[in-house]
Amino acid sequence: MNIKPTENRSKPTTRPVADKPFVAPEDLGTFDPKKALGEPGAFPFTRGVHRTMYREQFWTMRQFAGFGTAEDTNQRFKYLLEHGQTGLSTAFDLPTLMGRDGDDALSLGEVGRCGVAISALADMRRLFDGINLGEVSTSMTINAPAAIILAFYIAVAKEEGVALDNLRGTLQNDILKEFHAQNEYVFPPGPSVKLVVDTIEFCTEHMPQWNTVSISGYHIREAGATAAEELAFTLADGMAYVEGGIARGLDVDAFAPRLSFFFDVHNDFFEEIAKLRAARRIWSHVMRDRFAARDERSWKLRMHCQTAGVTLTEQQPMNNLIRVAYQAMAAVLGGTQSLHTNSMDETLALPTEQAAKLALRTQQILAHETRVNQTVDPLGGSYFVEKMTNEMEAKAWAIFDQIDAMGGVVKAVDRGYFRRCIAESAQAEQARLDRGELKVVGVSDFIEEGPPNIDILQISHETEEGQVKRLKALKASRDRSKHAAAMQRITDDARRGANMMPALIAAAEADATVGEMMDAMKTVFGSYDGGPEW
Amino acid sequence: MSAYESELSANPMTHPAPRILLAKIGLDGHDRGVKVLARSFRDAGIEVIYTGLWQTCEATMHAALQEDVDVVGVSLLSAAHMTVMPEMLRLRKDLGIENIPLILGGIVPVADHPKLRDMGISAVFNPGSPVDEIVNTVRDLATKPHPVNVKEAIAAYGKKDHRALAKLITVIQHGESFNGWKPPPGKAKVIGITGAPGVGKSSFISRIGKRLRDRGHKVAVVAVDPTSPVTGGALLGDRLRMMSGAPDRDFFVRSLSSGDAQGGIAPRCKEVVDLVNGFGFDFVLVETVGAGQSDVAIRKVTDRVLLLLMPDSGDAVQFSKAGIMEIATAFVLNKCDLPNADATEAQLISSVGDTRPLWKVSAVRDEGFDAVADWLTHS
Repeated sequence: MNIKPTENRSKPTTRPVADKPFVAPEDLGTFDPKKALGEPGAFPFTRGVHRTMYREQFWTMRQFAGFGTAEDTNQRFKYLLEHGQTGLSTAFDLPTLMGRDGDDALSLGEVGRCGVAISALADMRRLFDGINLGEVSTSMTINAPAAIILAFYIAVAKEEGVALDNLRGTLQNDILKEFHAQNEYVFPPGPSVKLVVDTIEFCTEHMPQWNTVSISGYHIREAGATAAEELAFTLADGMAYVEGGIARGLDVDAFAPRLSFFFDVHNDFFEEIAKLRAARRIWSHVMRDRFAARDERSWKLRMHCQTAGVTLTEQQPMNNLIRVAYQAMAAVLGGTQSLHTNSMDETLALPTEQAAKLALRTQQILAHETRVNQTVDPLGGSYFVEKMTNEMEAKAWAIFDQIDAMGGVVKAVDRGYFRRCIAESAQAEQARLDRGELKVVGVSDFIEEGPPNIDILQISHETEEGQVKRLKALKASRDRSKHAAAMQRITDDARRGANMMPALIAAAEADATVGEMMDAMKTVFGSYDGGPEW
Repeated sequence: MSAYESELSANPMTHPAPRILLAKIGLDGHDRGVKVLARSFRDAGIEVIYTGLWQTCEATMHAALQEDVDVVGVSLLSAAHMTVMPEMLRLRKDLGIENIPLILGGIVPVADHPKLRDMGISAVFNPGSPVDEIVNTVRDLATKPHPVNVKEAIAAYGKKDHRALAKLITVIQHGESFNGWKPPPGKAKVIGITGAPGVGKSSFISRIGKRLRDRGHKVAVVAVDPTSPVTGGALLGDRLRMMSGAPDRDFFVRSLSSGDAQGGIAPRCKEVVDLVNGFGFDFVLVETVGAGQSDVAIRKVTDRVLLLLMPDSGDAVQFSKAGIMEIATAFVLNKCDLPNADATEAQLISSVGDTRPLWKVSAVRDEGFDAVADWLTHS
């Protein structure tokens, strides 16, 4: 191996680690552990949402998967279930995420490429073939068309005779962060949030075990936000959904326990742990004091975490295994309920089976060999971690004040506030990299020449052709009058402001496609051009 | 070299700011990289035209032609590069703009790099590529000599070649002359669109432009964005609101930077407007930079001025009768989907106190534009 000599090889980065070499008890000021921490499983849940945490039960190892056709993904699901995974997680391809069919002009080259292509109920049926929906918990990462995908899932469950109140899983369904960061929005912010509240209302009544929204900081962080911004923007979005549910006339304790959160876990080990602890403490206060929730379950912030894709490098990709392992440990020390560990090859392509398995093994080693689970919140009481947790919380409240001053989250979206903050933070980080203040092993330092030496997954173009053909056949063979009536009902219900779920389930059962349903709603809800800041 | 030829290469110190068009193709929404680069290019003294998300190859290359950029940069994180880039090259050839180099950034397996370079992509960058390296590559590509034969361009302009129109705008912007040639007098209605930052000028133009096109009119837009006084670079973002739908030859959009011009328009703006007008459009819409009370230069280059306002903007403009309120031929209250539209309308009517037209529109809901189009067409 040809390793280039680099300067400062063993010196620490110039990024300040902390103000002082160590944190002393007096640096915590009036810190009262009883108030600030409480006991695990009790208000304000800083130390964890369960009393015993991983001593009794490990976190859920939930690996995101999905590529190619429904059959391909179905095979991957079965493989992961056989290897000890405990929950399914579905990645959809870009056309599906954007609410477009595989035969749409903008779908060119992207059908089945970054996830599974689901255009109609028939695709969903194939995706879960041979898997009992009453026995698995399924997470589906989808946002703008989330209500439609949920309608497909419900339709499959009904066909299989699984009662809706037995369905367990999570819909990401967090449209606000799409406006801030990920850009998979379709309708304007107002109607978009209305559709989210429709799913909350429907699930509260019919699917009590379903997690309705996974309020996501992951994408906000990946797009360049700082840890404090990720924390504050995500919780602010959460508050917006709670306000929406209350405005719909729902009892806050009827739906709030089914909201969950999704955070990114980046490289700054202690900062990430502090972020997750602060998130729980803030949310418990917000729910109890701001929204007057009385059910303890409403106060608990349950979270999924994923290691930070943005930290992975194409250079020396095996190094990514190490990054992921440290990040995974931070997530667990931060008290996450479930975890996705990234595969080392994700900056190169979608993961190979081998890389996906290593990512799962990383979690299994963490759980079964390191004994990090022997006590709850092992870092609780660390002067440094408690100080950082306090600082995270203070930064978040300052950001909430700014958002409140703008008139709330939707208004702040309209003003481009989130996008501007995120873009500025991303550029600031790039500037630090360019100045050499941030170091990346294998990229800025310890560089090796030559291309990365690992196998990567290739996906054939046949996926796209097959999907387009199937879609054509479906459109030709379905019951036209049933389909037309279902489409009419979508626009009618949208116009009269009704909850869209019943109409979408009926349309799913009439073999309407994702693109058709989205277009029908667009005629009433309008579409969004991205807001003021780019 | 004849008197008509001008060499646009030479010393980078005196060379005008290079122009790059940055595009995201397809449905992939990962725009962190492209946005960081856009700002870094601006800070390096480059003019950046970003066309926004969800573009087709065809619309992107049409935009490159109209904007007469020095480089087109494509950002792809969806792994569709081996489908998209050959299509971009085919379009570049079909449109006759093979002089514009194409570069690519995103998640591209190293094994594909030589294939892409062999097919004609000038450079490929992956995550982790140093920004300086990317900036220098763009500068090098942009400053390669590509002389414009002004005489030939003028002849092609006469034959309604859009490439020639684009080139001749560049010639004006570079401070070069046509050696006595003047474009023929045009018959277009020349309309200024002005208003405070964030009032929705570009979205308005996108909607009204579509209405005018639906009625069969040929429309050109000259959109001005501010130049950084420090670096000389600029983010020209207006175009991204005007990129919806299929590319359309008769909807010609050109983004200009304000340079050192005062008053919200571009240097030599009148010459650009006359050149575009003489080409044979029915409407020329000139969008100013986000304008303040005293940015009234638009009046000198257009026949009529539409002043855009939005609900609750009363405090900002104060509806004073002086300055920008005075030069408005008519008013458009945009974003009427927001609360307080009616109150703002009433306030505006009482403070203006004359009979100049006022319309309420909403770009989000696509409402109210027909009435404005009627007025533009008939009066």
